[in-house]
Amino acid sequence: MAKPFLIFVKQCPVCGDGLCRVRVCHDLQRGRLTGCILCDECETVWTDPTLKQKFLRGKVEGTPCCPDCGQSLWETNSHWADIPEVCLLGWYDSVQIVRKENRDQIV
Amino acid sequence: MARRTSNDPQAIANVLRLIPAKWLVGMLVAAVLYFFLQPKLNAWFGWNLPSIAAMAGNETPAKPASTKPAQPELASTKATEPKPAQPKAASTKPSGEPTKSTASSKTQQQDDLKYRILKPLGRDRYESPAGLIYAPGSEEGHRLSHIARHLEDQPDRPGSHGVFDGDMAAFLVAIDDAYKRARGHAKGTKSRLEDGMTIYEAPFDQTIGYLGGTEGARKKNPKLKKLRLVLRDRNLITAFPIQ
Ligand SMILES: [Zn+2]
Ligand SMILES: [Zn+2]
Repeated sequence: MAKPFLIFVKQCPVCGDGLCRVRVCHDLQRGRLTGCILCDECETVWTDPTLKQKFLRGKVEGTPCCPDCGQSLWETNSHWADIPEVCLLGWYDSVQIVRKENRDQIV
Repeated sequence: MARRTSNDPQAIANVLRLIPAKWLVGMLVAAVLYFFLQPKLNAWFGWNLPSIAAMAGNETPAKPASTKPAQPELASTKATEPKPAQPKAASTKPSGEPTKSTASSKTQQQDDLKYRILKPLGRDRYESPAGLIYAPGSEEGHRLSHIARHLEDQPDRPGSHGVFDGDMAAFLVAIDDAYKRARGHAKGTKSRLEDGMTIYEAPFDQTIGYLGGTEGARKKNPKLKKLRLVLRDRNLITAFPIQ
């Protein structure tokens, strides 16, 4: 279902057009939630909202991967974070939250 | 003396009787293999192997995708002059967009091409004439679906959102054009490496799109004449017009 908010850190410093958004991976085996920052355009992954450290080595080639479990961030156990998840990660103060009029544009 | 031609059914029957049965089976298997592999080999390697129907004289051999569409036969010189399919778009688009071919001049190979220029490589992967690969990936499931986001504005999207002013076929032609020029270090192009990714930029003589998103709206959607490509090896990750 489309989410009514778009949560992002800033426009991507790598590609210039994407948004650095909070992506969460729910590792069901270990029962933990991992957050990272993912550009929705060029798919660069950073470990946290400071955008200081990129995560480059995943287990799936050609796809952005979770810094914790290494699996693809486009798989079903990953999704764009909602506000409670951003709070849980302690990143609420690092992100911008935009309420969208056109909900279809947020997936 | 009567000459035997290969089309004489009696002559063919006589020849067949002389060939051992296992040879015939072998020839049949080879023919079936060729029937299935011929279009794939042409697609993969850009060959021009004739189909079985073509060899039997029922069909003209497939032409390479790069050949120009056939001109209508027996028409006056003036009438055969190719006209741009979309005059307005042509004036603002980079050159090289393939002209629309008539239904009668379409070959089997052209029918196989996606967006008129992408050669299928199998497993939902496609190769452009310049050698870029469009493969499954991205949030949308395929790179082609991902770059389609740049064919329209997302006015509510925070920041800038480059919008290409044209359809997917024209976008792919522009991407190839930018890739070829940037890879060849043509004047005005830029390239940089960023942790396994290559980012190319290439200017165009004419407007190719406009700035969308909230930033674009704030600046009254300025026209854009540059294209940025993000690649991983030859795989296109994304492409969009920039300021
Ligand atoms: Zn990016
Ligand atoms: Zn994970």
